[in-house]
Amino acid sequence: MIFKIAWRNIYRNKKRSLITITSVFAALLLIILMRALQFGFYDKLIETVVESYAGYVEIHADGFWDNQSLDNSMQVDQQLLDDIQSVKGVENIVQRLQTFSLISLGEKTKGGVINGINLSEEQKITDWNKKMVSGSFDLSDNEIIIAKGIAEFFGISENDTLILYGQGYRGMMAAGKYPVKGVIDLKNPDLNKIGLFMTMESVRNYISSDEISTHIIIGKEKYYDEGKIVEDLALILSDDYEVMTWKETLPEIEQTITADSAGGLIMAFILYVIVVFGMFGTVLMMTEERKYEFGVLISIGMSRIRLFGIILVETIILSMVGVVLAVMVTYPISIYYNINPIDMAILMGDGAVQMIEEMGFSPMIPMSISWDIPLSHSLVIFIFSLLISIYPAIKISKLNPVKSMKI
Amino acid sequence: MIETKKLLKIYNPGKYEVKAVNDVSTVFAEGEFTAVVGPSGSGKTTFLNCVGGLDTPSSGDVIISDENITKLSGAEIIKYRLNNIGFVFQAYNLIPVLSARENIEMIMLLQGADEKIRKSRTDELLNQVGLYEMRNRRPSQLSGGQQQRVAVARALASKPKFILADEPTANLDTSSTSNLLDIMNKLNINEKITFIFSTHDQRVIDRARRVLTLEDGKIVNDIKK
Ligand SMILES: Nc1ncnc2c1ncn2[C@@H]1O[C@H](COP(=O)(O)OP(=O)(O)OP(=O)(O)O)[C@@H](O)[C@H]1O
Ligand SMILES: [Mg+2]
Repeated sequence: MIFKIAWRNIYRNKKRSLITITSVFAALLLIILMRALQFGFYDKLIETVVESYAGYVEIHADGFWDNQSLDNSMQVDQQLLDDIQSVKGVENIVQRLQTFSLISLGEKTKGGVINGINLSEEQKITDWNKKMVSGSFDLSDNEIIIAKGIAEFFGISENDTLILYGQGYRGMMAAGKYPVKGVIDLKNPDLNKIGLFMTMESVRNYISSDEISTHIIIGKEKYYDEGKIVEDLALILSDDYEVMTWKETLPEIEQTITADSAGGLIMAFILYVIVVFGMFGTVLMMTEERKYEFGVLISIGMSRIRLFGIILVETIILSMVGVVLAVMVTYPISIYYNINPIDMAILMGDGAVQMIEEMGFSPMIPMSISWDIPLSHSLVIFIFSLLISIYPAIKISKLNPVKSMKI
Repeated sequence: MIETKKLLKIYNPGKYEVKAVNDVSTVFAEGEFTAVVGPSGSGKTTFLNCVGGLDTPSSGDVIISDENITKLSGAEIIKYRLNNIGFVFQAYNLIPVLSARENIEMIMLLQGADEKIRKSRTDELLNQVGLYEMRNRRPSQLSGGQQQRVAVARALASKPKFILADEPTANLDTSSTSNLLDIMNKLNINEKITFIFSTHDQRVIDRARRVLTLEDGKIVNDIKK
């Protein structure tokens, strides 16, 4: 009965209801599409940056992040790898052995970071093999790949030889001569100045260590929440390990996203204010013009709670019809633009496009199809409609049937 | 039996106070068909509102079948009205978005009656007020007189102890008025329903079996025919 009365009341004032529903629909449509594009952009940003070097989730020996020395390395056995692989959302695992080293040629010397990698496994997570400027990524033992900045610094290219020396494992000296197999552009100015790659075995030889690693990098299933992976890992890993997400290893990215996202939220907020005032106006009129009717209903014995129930249902229908329509319309749009990414280049100048491409970033942005976006914003509107209902609730609780029925 | 004891309703207590109902003590027996009359402003509406628990008297008691309804709380009095008193107002009694039959049925729904009983009683009442054919019309598709007949049917639907009607015929033409009174009279006799209604209309007064006259909130005349 409550639903019947509520529904017919909405239908009774078709024009006004339609305007209200349309405004909710239009605002939510804009908000969802805007956020889907924004989050698509962030996903792409994270993907590009994270997958080019760090992982979504990293595991180190406890204390490694604060003191990145070989003393804080770990020995990884198959059992540990199996345990990690069994965590939901984990797709690929790869180990790395990272150590600082001096690089020198003739008179020139500079610092660098050697990355010992497992070639075949690494390609499941990073796309280094596609970033080669010259030479090939096919490392053999005792060969190195150097980042673009290092090649420029020494003025060398493939087939030249560099000398590496520095601290080895447990106080040993490390030194060696390594031919350059290729030059890589890591699409990141900082990394390009220091990045060196060798096979895992070569690095272990260089530092005279047994089978140690410094990093376990985890590639996750797309859209799976890395926070959950961290939670699940915490359950199976002992205190000897530390688990970090890209948010901790690359805090700048997180900050950039937060700042940009705040802009989007302000836009959304403005739209919300407009919609909420529109809805409030409708509910206000709905309440005022029906005071007489409410008076009659209370007189003949309808409880105030039931009466409020009618208004509440009316308000919720008014908002939720627009919400459901907006979600239904935006979902296929998001999917379409997820499969066919939007070329942001048309919105940007040539300079900006070039800069973005130099950073290894493609201007083709797929829209996010995460359900979090429509659901969270639908929830916001739902909560707003509950808040709006406070007004009729107060009116009804105070309504004096005798007074409200005086014409 | 409905009894009022020293019923007093004062508006604007203090400076410009109006004693809308002034010390009214009277008894309505079961099955009465009473018209409350009097000049405009004499307190008819206020009196009926107090008897029906819509308004709270300044002092005095309203006792319906041994229950003092002036002592009931806000939520209790609403529930009391639902189950014991039928109301018919001057106009706009019906929920505009519900059909005639839904308006009647609603009151039983509020009482929690089950569907079978609701349907059969609604049909029976629609027949009694002669509107069975128009049962699916909305109030806006009914004439004023027809709307009032639906309102009477709805008031009866809850099987109340009595029906209060404040100027139910004020907006009706002569033939609708006599038609509504025929129906009220018939229900009064057949269903033994007590009616208390206020009116200005001499033809309505003529058909009442008791006429209670108010003036300045006091009973000045009480004739039982
Ligand atoms: N809310 C109020 N505040 C102050 N005075 C009121 C109020 N309601 C009614 N009155 C006064 O109480 C008195 C009785 O009013 P009431 O409406 O009961 O009269 P009535 O007999 O129903 O009149 P009518 O025949 O015009 O409907 C009048 O003098 C009126 O001015
Ligand atoms: Mg009156």
